[in-house]
Amino acid sequence: MRKRHTTLANAGKYLFLLIGGAVSVMPMIYMLSTSLRPNGALYEFPPHFFPRLSEITFENYQYIFTQEKFYLNFLNSVLVAIITIVLAAFVSTALAYCLARFRFPGRNLLFALVIGMMIIPGTTLIIPQYQLATFFKLTNRLAGLIPFYVAWVIPFSTFMIKSYIEGIPKEYDEAVYADGGSVFTVFFRIILPLSSPAIASVSIFNFLTSWEEFTWAMTVINDNAKRTLPIAISGFFGQHQFTQWGYVFAMSMASLVPVLIVFICCQKFFVSGLQAGGLKG
Amino acid sequence: MQLRSRRDKLQFSALLLPGILVFALFTIYPIVKLFGMSFLRWDLGSMFDKSFAGFDNYKTVLTDKTFRIAFENTLIYTFVTVPGQMILGLFAAVLIHSIPRFRVTFRVIYYIPVITSWVIVSLVFRYIFNTEGMLNYLLTNVLHLTAKNVAWLNTRWGGMTVVMLLGIWKGVGWNLVVFLAALQSVPNELYEAAEVDGCGSVAKFFSITLPSIKPTILFALVMLTIGGFNVFTSIKMITDGKPMHQTETVLTWMYYKAFSAGQFGYAAALSFIVAVTLMILAFLQFKAMKNQNE
Amino acid sequence: MKKLSLKKMLALFLLAAMVLGALTACSNEKAPDTSPSQQTQPAEAGKTGAATPEEPITINFWHHYSAQSAENETLMNVLIPKFEEENPGYKVNAVSHEWGDLHDKILISAQSNTLPDVARLDIAWVPEFQKMGILVPLDAEMSDFAEVTANLLPSAMSTGFVKGNYYAMALNTNTKILFYNEEALKAAGLSVPKTSEDFVKAIIALSGTNENGQQVWGLNEPALAGWNVLPYIWTNGGSITNEDYTKATGYVNSPETVAAVQTLVDLYANGQFSGFNSGDIPMTDGFGTGRYMMLLEGPWKTAELAGAYPDFAYGTSEMPAGKAGSISVLGGEDIAMFNTANKEGAWKFMKFMTSPYAEEEMAKCGQIPVNQEALASDTVKNAPFAPFLQAITTAQARPPVASWSEIDNELTTAMTDMIVNGADVQKTLDELAAKIDALLAE
Repeated sequence: MRKRHTTLANAGKYLFLLIGGAVSVMPMIYMLSTSLRPNGALYEFPPHFFPRLSEITFENYQYIFTQEKFYLNFLNSVLVAIITIVLAAFVSTALAYCLARFRFPGRNLLFALVIGMMIIPGTTLIIPQYQLATFFKLTNRLAGLIPFYVAWVIPFSTFMIKSYIEGIPKEYDEAVYADGGSVFTVFFRIILPLSSPAIASVSIFNFLTSWEEFTWAMTVINDNAKRTLPIAISGFFGQHQFTQWGYVFAMSMASLVPVLIVFICCQKFFVSGLQAGGLKG
Repeated sequence: MQLRSRRDKLQFSALLLPGILVFALFTIYPIVKLFGMSFLRWDLGSMFDKSFAGFDNYKTVLTDKTFRIAFENTLIYTFVTVPGQMILGLFAAVLIHSIPRFRVTFRVIYYIPVITSWVIVSLVFRYIFNTEGMLNYLLTNVLHLTAKNVAWLNTRWGGMTVVMLLGIWKGVGWNLVVFLAALQSVPNELYEAAEVDGCGSVAKFFSITLPSIKPTILFALVMLTIGGFNVFTSIKMITDGKPMHQTETVLTWMYYKAFSAGQFGYAAALSFIVAVTLMILAFLQFKAMKNQNE
Repeated sequence: MKKLSLKKMLALFLLAAMVLGALTACSNEKAPDTSPSQQTQPAEAGKTGAATPEEPITINFWHHYSAQSAENETLMNVLIPKFEEENPGYKVNAVSHEWGDLHDKILISAQSNTLPDVARLDIAWVPEFQKMGILVPLDAEMSDFAEVTANLLPSAMSTGFVKGNYYAMALNTNTKILFYNEEALKAAGLSVPKTSEDFVKAIIALSGTNENGQQVWGLNEPALAGWNVLPYIWTNGGSITNEDYTKATGYVNSPETVAAVQTLVDLYANGQFSGFNSGDIPMTDGFGTGRYMMLLEGPWKTAELAGAYPDFAYGTSEMPAGKAGSISVLGGEDIAMFNTANKEGAWKFMKFMTSPYAEEEMAKCGQIPVNQEALASDTVKNAPFAPFLQAITTAQARPPVASWSEIDNELTTAMTDMIVNGADVQKTLDELAAKIDALLAE
């Protein structure tokens, strides 16, 4: 009796979850479906959710993939994202370690700043940051994106990694010091390896942040060849009174697939990282 | 931890400095600069000849009708999307937590919107909610719920609805993962004890689950509130503030004023007001969080 | 930590700065080398060019030919290679922006001294940029200016003339004429509207629903800015300001303007006029798929329709005449040089772009030349420009004032308020008049 009740309840739960899951991925499937049909068929009546087999075409992908620009944009996005996460990982782990393990003058102020910066939306600072980029001659260069992305992700990364480091027993550090080890020894031998799960998950978030960043890149970059993917995609949209949705969505798919692959391979880290932050607040 | 040797002090400084440097240069300095700019008369006419304007910019911002609309929109967006995605995310988390199989699969599926970039999902939503789009076809021609196509993107509330739906849809997965992690850490003994007392699952949820994950709820609340105030790309791509700047949010309006109208003094004052508002809001939430943890 | 001496602090600071510098520098190097230009600063480009003559000088050229358009293809594959071949030592880095983005990008770049060398500007922007002090007075600085511009249409050249100097050269000109759905007009038994009354009648007659039950609109406008609404206002005898561009009260709220706007308000309210809301079908798609029956558009539309809807049958005619005649809006672009430019190279490129050769190539993709030699060429004679050239003779320019962009924003807001929200026309235009007066007085 009880068992049947559970089975029934479970069936209900699965049904709910399936509906929710369908809503979650429906827009992406629609996007995929639109990217597989000819541009001219978009205002047909009645509209189809799935393309008819006979009209499936790869012409949009062909167009995107034969454009040299696309590869440049893709490469730009990859480069910026990778350099950003490496720099951010180093700087924020070091900062988190200092905050978590040492008492020093201004420590509380520094931590308050970390928290404060998490709160202020990056976009509010866009005007002075733009002037800064101009001063360092960073406008219209990929190098104009990276330091700002690093600066934006450091507060959250530091916050997350710090709470993770606080969970690493201090006895480990003390053992190293007792053996004559230095601060660097502790950092490189103990802290870095032990907090690598937190660093990994934070880095995945930083990758996403950099991969999808739109406002700053739109403001700083001019040349087509230096644009990152989000800017390139939005550039396809709304050109002179008509939008070639097929191209827009083909390019969107091309930008989404790498992220999906990274995500499905590393989804464990997504969870563990959030766990650390979420539980310890 | 006390630093003993000179070597340790040096090494410690080497670790600390890059962070401080990045902070000082790319965030602290811009904030100070922004504050200064907000007191300057600085628009296109006075670009190369800025003068001190006192509180004029602040006055202009606070009496500006469009700023009020943008501020309202931002608050509404935050107050709708934050609870919306938290409730749905928690609901999904509880369901997934209680099922025997496919937990990971569901988690992955629900998380896909989170990892898809704002530019892409905004364009997809714009396409779906187009007056001639798929959704209207379903509503009008298939389900006959509306007599004629709903012009979602043509009005303030229509546009805001689409953007808010997008915000909730995209955020559920994040909440789900955060809450799922929290649920897994609630000790099972608590539930067993409650079962002995004869509690039903709803009662268990309110008497055990909710109190146990309170810190997580507050964490999510703070993060999402910040995210709500940050709404920019979806507005920019879906409505671009139309019609008549009625769907602007504080950040899109700031961006428009700075980079389309060239009124940098105004935009700086606006930025500062937003930053301060959010600081106060977050401070209150952090305080609540601290009290809860004690 | 507490007692670190100042010297050590400084040393550490420098060390950290070097590490950071090295990291950013290396990220610089990794930037793709395939991009056309590694130089960001026009001024910088000039300096390096002077020091090492072998290294080509880069001329940064910003424009708003759409990235996927025939114009852009011609620019990238025909004109620029030709220019670089004729002018060894120069490279052109052309950057395409959306029309509105280009305006904004120039504003931003002016703030930060990162302007390009040359830009193709909407003629309505020239006074604004002149006022900002970022354009080069060409007639004062270029000794061969008179010679170069002798062949360019004086009427088009006047768009670059602000406060006693020429700050831009005419590049191309255009105006909008009526495009109509041929079959629909025939099926409704209507002839092509020649007067405002017939135009409104046709709009009403062509609106309704098609065989799928989808709504069909008689008239489309993709926006409600001055570029869109002025032809309706002008043909009815209304206007934005007086002839000296000093006063709007009595003009933008005159009975003629009010009546013209009221017509648009009524058409929208009855579902006969659409296209400017975010969710609407884009203009070209709506016209090509028979959802919008008529619209006012420029010469580029011909090429666009041929590309996107090759089988679609449409006709063109002049803007239907009202009380004041048939008055369309004068469009077109100028080419201008910014004062941070490498002037020698920039001037060479500007001369090239306005040469008969370049103008004729651009005419092939729908850009009406302003060079009289190009205008007399067979290419232009065979192009479907005749109705446009006719319309240009009666077309009017948007007010050439520095505050035009702001006036245009106010105008758009007021138009949206009246047409979409149904705000009272007279009252809204009265308020608008006061706002424009204030902007004109600045």
